[in-house]
Amino acid sequence: MTKVKALNEVAASVEDGATLALGGNVLHRAPMAFVRELARQEKRKLRVVKTAGAHDIDLLCAVGAVDQVDAGFVSYETVYGLPPHYRKAVQTGVVKANEHACYTVISALRAAKTNVPFMPVSGLKYGDLIEKNDYFVVVEDPFTGEPVTLVRAIVPDVAVIHVQECDKNGNAIIHGPKFEDVLMSRAANRVIITTEQVVSDFTIKQQKERIDIPGFLVEAVVKVPKGAAPAACYPAYDVDDRALREFLQLKEADQISHFIHRYDQQDHREVRGERKW
Amino acid sequence: MVNQKYRLSDLMTCVIADMLEDGETVFHGVSSQLPMVAMHLARHMHAPHLVHLNIPGGVNPSSIKKAAFSSAGPDLVESSEAYFQLDEVFDLSMRGKLDVAFLGGIQFDMHGNVNASVIGDYHRPKVRLPGGAGSAVLIPTAKKAIIWRTKHDIRTFVKQVDFVTTRGNLWKIVTPLCVFIFRNNRLELDSVHPHTTIEEVQEHTGFPLIYDEVRYTKAPTTKQMQLLRQLDPHDYRSAEF
Repeated sequence: MTKVKALNEVAASVEDGATLALGGNVLHRAPMAFVRELARQEKRKLRVVKTAGAHDIDLLCAVGAVDQVDAGFVSYETVYGLPPHYRKAVQTGVVKANEHACYTVISALRAAKTNVPFMPVSGLKYGDLIEKNDYFVVVEDPFTGEPVTLVRAIVPDVAVIHVQECDKNGNAIIHGPKFEDVLMSRAANRVIITTEQVVSDFTIKQQKERIDIPGFLVEAVVKVPKGAAPAACYPAYDVDDRALREFLQLKEADQISHFIHRYDQQDHREVRGERKW
Repeated sequence: MVNQKYRLSDLMTCVIADMLEDGETVFHGVSSQLPMVAMHLARHMHAPHLVHLNIPGGVNPSSIKKAAFSSAGPDLVESSEAYFQLDEVFDLSMRGKLDVAFLGGIQFDMHGNVNASVIGDYHRPKVRLPGGAGSAVLIPTAKKAIIWRTKHDIRTFVKQVDFVTTRGNLWKIVTPLCVFIFRNNRLELDSVHPHTTIEEVQEHTGFPLIYDEVRYTKAPTTKQMQLLRQLDPHDYRSAEF
């Protein structure tokens, strides 16, 4: 039985208030088509989890879909600068920024993966992040009596990961850097794969040692070529420089909405084309 | 031989390259083109066995010429010797085996505190900054943390930071005006860049400079400048200027 479904159908399964782990890193392999669909469906109160996010988090903040962001770094990189919508949302108190140290996001997901309530983090020793955030706590190591910092587990309701190849059963292969995506697929309760290509079972079976996420962990597969755009997806396409620069200038809600709807055809091509036809 | 024709970005890149030693394990993160180029320069000069680690996980990429908009892209894996991804780099640092980490920040104080988080209240900030990325676990655990910042003014170098994202094994801070060194539990002046003066550095620093004698930063050599043009022909080292 195929797990391949339409983008809108799968996005509809994400509930308001869900904790959402997004794959990729900064402007690389972000699941942008899925993020735009969450925006179209006017999701609210999402908690977004990622070590380092950029356009994905910024866009969700721009449409008011976010309640909290757990991340070590939220910004476009040097040439594109700071994320205006995320900053505004945090500075006006709309979004709560739960600043992590990248590694503490990894540790919190490792805790979820192994079903323990927290994870000790040896490097987090000093500073105000420990004091200001209730998801960090310093306790006494019961074995040595030394202080040790714990980070609370983050169990994503859903992990959304964009890959280059996947079969209809959800066996997914990531090309190039995998970032935290494999870990996310083990930590989350549900895994959604968006993919550049749905390849045959045979093609995947021939390279089974390369499968990063086995199909039995995956709930749904959505075929969206250019599904990471305007972020990059190695080796198929680089960032869409013009679109990113344009987005960074947008201020009004209708401009943001217009920007998202320009991707309607591209994001829903598979529904209009092959699948329903 | 000293090359007279260099820019600030060249100087900062060469100063940082000179800080790195052969055989060291060295990590840089996102938005880190300048130290990435410096690491590459060091590998081609005096540190051929330096181990270049990064977020996408490419160990010792042979080329950094495609890293146009990102220092965390797949190009660093494509030309690498091995794949060693971010969580493993962090684990390496936790067990004391990362020699050098490059990190950023917006505000620094004389006590060696680093702020990359907020200006104003943490929960309702006046300015929300990108966040410290790996800083809060890497600055305490890497043997030497090097910070570079392309701004040097009294809002950047302050008596007391608004928020302590982290502190720890901070070693040096490189700016367009000088190099600071953290020792004796305080930020001391290490060297002043050749184009400036101690008075100018003091004028742009929000706390009294501590130094025993005024040393000048070594200018880039002709060899370094030649290599920089080859290794970084698209001038990514100047992206922040």
